[in-house]
Amino acid sequence: MHFPANRGILLLALALQVTLLSEANPLETPLGKQAFQRFEKYCFDCHDEESKKGDLDLVALLEKGGDHTLAFENLVTAKMPPKNKKQPSAQEKRLMLDWLARRQAENNPDPYRRISRHEFIHSANDLLGVELDLTGEIPEDRGTNDFDSDRRIKLTREMLASYFSVADEMLEFALPAEGFPAERTWLTNKIKDSHKTYNLYTRKYKEGILFSWTRANNGNSYSFFYDNFDPPVKGWYELTFDAMKLGDFPEDVSLEVFAGKYYYADDRPQPQRLLDVISLGNRELKSHKVKVFLRPGENVSVHCYSKHNFRQRNGNQGAYVKQLKVRGPILDQWPPTSYKQIFGDLPLKTPVREAKEVSMTQTNLKAIGGNVTVSSFQKGMEMERMLDGSNRTFWHTRFKPTLAKPPHHVTIENPDSKEIEGLNYATWTGGNGNGQVKAYAIHLSEDGKNWGPPILKGDLEIRLANEQPILFPEKTTKRFIKFLVADAHSIDGRSIASIGKLDVMTSFSPNDSTAKITVSSSSPDELKNVIKRFAEKAFSSSLSEEELAPYYGVSLNSLKEQGDFVQAAKHGLKAVLCSHRFLMAPGEHANQSYSRAAHLARILWLSVPDEKLLGLSKTKTLSAQTIPAQIDRMLKDEKSRRMIHSFCDQWLNLRSFDKVTPSLKLYPKYDDLLNHYLPIETEAYLEHLIRENLPVGYLIDSDFSILNQCLAQHYGIEGVISQEMRKVSFKPSVPRGGLLTMGSVLKVTADGFDTSPILRGAWISKNIAGNTLSPPPEDIEVIEPEHGKDAATLREQIEVHKNNQACFACHKSIDPYGFALESFDATGQWRVRYRVKKPHGGTFQYRPKGYYDLTGVVDPSGEIEKEKFKDIFGLKKILLSDHKRIAYNFIKKLFEYANGYKPSLNQRLDLFALIPDEPNECRMKDLITKTLVYSLGDAQE
Amino acid sequence: MRTISRQEFLKAGTALPLALQSLDLRAATKPKSTVPPRRIIFICSCLGFYEPYFFPKKRGDLGTSDYLKGMKTRDKMTVFQNLFHPGMDTSNHDSEKSFLTGSLSPESPTFSNGISLDQVLARQMGGDTRFPFLNFSIYDRGWGISWNDRGSPIPPMHDEEKIFGKLFKEEDLQAKKQQLRNDQNILDCLHRDMAQLRKRGSQPGKLDSYKAAIRELEAQLDHEKFWLNAQKPKVEKSLSEDREFAFSTKISNLFELAKLAFRTDSTRVITLSMDWIDGAIKVPGATGGWHTLSHHGGKPNMIGQLSKIEIDPLKHFNRFLYEMDQIKEGEGTLLDHTTVVMGSNFGDSSNHTCNNLPMIVAGVGIVTKPKRCSKSRLRCATSTSNCSTSTTSTQARLEVARRIWGCSRCDGNYLSNLQKITLLALGSLNKFDPSRVLTYDYA
Repeated sequence: MHFPANRGILLLALALQVTLLSEANPLETPLGKQAFQRFEKYCFDCHDEESKKGDLDLVALLEKGGDHTLAFENLVTAKMPPKNKKQPSAQEKRLMLDWLARRQAENNPDPYRRISRHEFIHSANDLLGVELDLTGEIPEDRGTNDFDSDRRIKLTREMLASYFSVADEMLEFALPAEGFPAERTWLTNKIKDSHKTYNLYTRKYKEGILFSWTRANNGNSYSFFYDNFDPPVKGWYELTFDAMKLGDFPEDVSLEVFAGKYYYADDRPQPQRLLDVISLGNRELKSHKVKVFLRPGENVSVHCYSKHNFRQRNGNQGAYVKQLKVRGPILDQWPPTSYKQIFGDLPLKTPVREAKEVSMTQTNLKAIGGNVTVSSFQKGMEMERMLDGSNRTFWHTRFKPTLAKPPHHVTIENPDSKEIEGLNYATWTGGNGNGQVKAYAIHLSEDGKNWGPPILKGDLEIRLANEQPILFPEKTTKRFIKFLVADAHSIDGRSIASIGKLDVMTSFSPNDSTAKITVSSSSPDELKNVIKRFAEKAFSSSLSEEELAPYYGVSLNSLKEQGDFVQAAKHGLKAVLCSHRFLMAPGEHANQSYSRAAHLARILWLSVPDEKLLGLSKTKTLSAQTIPAQIDRMLKDEKSRRMIHSFCDQWLNLRSFDKVTPSLKLYPKYDDLLNHYLPIETEAYLEHLIRENLPVGYLIDSDFSILNQCLAQHYGIEGVISQEMRKVSFKPSVPRGGLLTMGSVLKVTADGFDTSPILRGAWISKNIAGNTLSPPPEDIEVIEPEHGKDAATLREQIEVHKNNQACFACHKSIDPYGFALESFDATGQWRVRYRVKKPHGGTFQYRPKGYYDLTGVVDPSGEIEKEKFKDIFGLKKILLSDHKRIAYNFIKKLFEYANGYKPSLNQRLDLFALIPDEPNECRMKDLITKTLVYSLGDAQE
Repeated sequence: MRTISRQEFLKAGTALPLALQSLDLRAATKPKSTVPPRRIIFICSCLGFYEPYFFPKKRGDLGTSDYLKGMKTRDKMTVFQNLFHPGMDTSNHDSEKSFLTGSLSPESPTFSNGISLDQVLARQMGGDTRFPFLNFSIYDRGWGISWNDRGSPIPPMHDEEKIFGKLFKEEDLQAKKQQLRNDQNILDCLHRDMAQLRKRGSQPGKLDSYKAAIRELEAQLDHEKFWLNAQKPKVEKSLSEDREFAFSTKISNLFELAKLAFRTDSTRVITLSMDWIDGAIKVPGATGGWHTLSHHGGKPNMIGQLSKIEIDPLKHFNRFLYEMDQIKEGEGTLLDHTTVVMGSNFGDSSNHTCNNLPMIVAGVGIVTKPKRCSKSRLRCATSTSNCSTSTTSTQARLEVARRIWGCSRCDGNYLSNLQKITLLALGSLNKFDPSRVLTYDYA
């Protein structure tokens, strides 16, 4: 909550009052007396010192004081008194709750917090007009807290140090000191070499390549790297695949597009980033465009996936990719938005930005009209094979019928005396390394006869598949260049040599094709305006001259010292981005409206307010009357997806989604495409509920979800084709619909092998039903239920809880939920029987049928709060019967997400009052709006 | 340039060894303390060692190990047995990624790693030296055994020349100095703004909270600046240039560099990853694929070849220990103040199992009396299926583990084993707060 200083004092006063009250004998205040009588009347029968049901002695608690949260929550959600007992009237209940809330010592959260790394990155991107995700370069500081915004998390040196360096990197990306490189276009239909056991999943087809589908090797889907494209700088690139599906089946094949460092397939896979998935449903060639962010050193690779999900060798089905066209680095416009956004109307000097074609077959050697001769060659391994721009084919010295004698060399002729800076060398990656060059010497000659001493000697890595540049000490225009093999790897000691790829490096200095934008100004006043405009947006406030002075000062110094307007501005902007006004929330705001605008933007967009919100703030018109319309507008904005994503991560714990990987022995069909889409389903569903303002009961159950082919297949739903996410309706017999039965939730609550009803039950209890539980007693043996041959034992193991009063007090509100979800395995698939692992001999080998036996039959029945259910359908019904509880939990979580602390009991009373009695009127967007308006405090100016 | 008093630091309420110690350094401006510093090096041989040749045949007698009997510093070494890495369930490729992190399922496509132990230690011990840590690997694969707090690999250095240059060659400092100056200007600007806000009565807790972080950052910049002005130590270049046995040369040189770095007190935390190299390598007496041979399947001729490859790094390891033990320092030798942990992520790489991992500790932290773990502490704390409660093999393993040096799984996981070793090793380290390591959140 964004309390201005006076509100903070109010809180403090309240807290004092509370302390005083709790010290006094509760029976001596009139309110206390009245409330105590009510508790006596409705509660003490079961919860006094003698009966102590649920291990709760309420008499002692109320008399001595302590944590009243449990009593409060049970009363407010009507869990207590039990339905078959006398119920207090609404008025009585209010009295009891009020008293509990008053007596509860407030936890007094700090009135400020640090912004999260996600908020930093989104805000900086929006402010600078760029899209650069550097979240990974900032440490995760959330620790074991549920919410990013938690006020107990303090700003640390590590965070601040990262903000300093990330701000530099973002500013450099937005306003590069050296200018923007030319936009290039690459065209390629070649892929880099792979081990022979993988190469057979691709083959030449028509003008391009046919990728058969491969499922996995040792759990890693194998992808093929495109050759002849290396991103020269980090930035956005447009990839266009001209591709089609081959195969006589209705379902899609999908092309997963990755970025990662090239590795040779016999080596272990390196970590790769999934960039996008292209769904190929068509049988005619179409262009599929994806926009991706790439860094130097990364290559683009593709993996073909089909629902027939084991590999198919030398196939005639799969994905045919005629060619890949890459354009980039692309900018949103020229000059880029960042300049307009930062410098406003200042006149820019904008040189023309070049566009260049990089051909796939045009090697540099061909471009300079060069020729090549070699000392010898083996038939089928001619020199052309090292000049074709691919390392899949290679040149080899002669070994049959006779062995060529050393020296082995390659001579390059440069007939037009072009400037050559060096050579680019790559090994061919197959085989056992035999023949690969370990050491070389370079000689130059004008006539091809008289060679001087070597100008350069060096070593080459034989295990490196990447290109290895050989840079000459100085550029040369000499007509002949000799690459002499000084040493090559030889297994049997015979003298041989081979090269996968050799080309010349010509004068492509990156500088001569960059376009640097400058600002035609050196006016301190204009510089001040630039800093002011940026700082006011970042700080969500208007700034006085005095307030602006330090930030402007940094820039002005730099302008005076170095004279570069853009660089000078960057210093001021960096100071703004690293300022406590930006990194701490609430910041320093000129009025309440600014403060509210900042709060709303942070919650709904993880960013700073836009012009519209700032406009309303300037005129002090962001109030209780205007806020709902703004929330509505903000939720419609694309940027609100950040909130959905972030809230799902934190509320539903989907941030832990990737922490465990389902066992390949038990769940051989689980793959990374599914892993990619499962959380997307949850986000898309929640987004749908909010946008459509559907009733809160949809969190528990519905007759639809947002699915695609691979999700539908996982859920056993037929007729969903292609990987586009869309709304799919369920028949009543389908157990899906709602959050509980989503694969993402079912996976994140299991450990990848077995499912534990305790863990899943605890998840529902905490995140959906919102039960308040006391912490587990100390010195308790941990129960690790195991799925043995006999399913009944699992239940027996867990029912140990029943025999112990201390355990049962809480576990009766945990375990039963989990039993209903036993119908779903650790990946979220429906099951009737448990699977148990079978051993495998020797090294683990993946196989589609896995290694498991089917054992005991699942029993998903249970009893929660005296209501029995047979299975998940029954449990959903029970949960749905009390929509207020679901809604109450939802808005409490939202409150905590938005404000960084759990609502106090007083605030909970207010929150509970926001919930409509009628299930159908209790709608998602309405609840969000009400909660946010409430958390902004009295929204009067 | 601002200076910060220690008091001010402590008032901020944050224990920040890195920053604090750099202040110490400046305050002390030598003469050096007479107590030699503690150091640690972790070495991982990613394909392990052939078990029957590695482990002593008789408990407590390293002379009965085929591989270790020739070690000159045997009396300063302990071999640990029956360590294993829980949660390794499939073929365990890439398990070296978890060597110092203990993270599960390293070969899964969605694997995310945690911080490695050396990095936790670097936070504690890194402040006094130019390099808080160094990490080496024998070739450029992009990852070694050091992983940062975000679970990303810290790219290891593998080029001996470059490492030597980084440690001992003077460099051009202009750009770095300019950057530090700019940041100092920005910090000054932020101080000015805070001062005016404080005057205007802005939330003091908020300002203090931010200021504490700024102070620490300034101390970090100070550390960098301090070392920018300090001359690098000068040493004789003693790297081998033997090209016939390139693999062997590489390993020998990396050990040499580790020794030099410790001797000159350039760092106190080092990792060295001996990753397996595909393709044939040549060592005295054998030529073959390390990886291929490691899948010996029990064939005697392959084991023979493999043992020649495996003994080679151990030869260099032996020399490393011996030479460390020849360098006098304080009352003892360099080795006496260094913890050397050498081991593998694989127990039996032929079958890709992560049981009975080979592990040597030398120098500080050797165990003279094997510890026993009381039965009451037996409890399974993780929830992976590997940690099932009552299989006979588990029982047997626990039994053995208890006999050797304390239970390897009973009260935690693989990582805490390593922590134990390390803590044993660093037990008497000044300024070292074990609770910070033990409570670190690895989840």
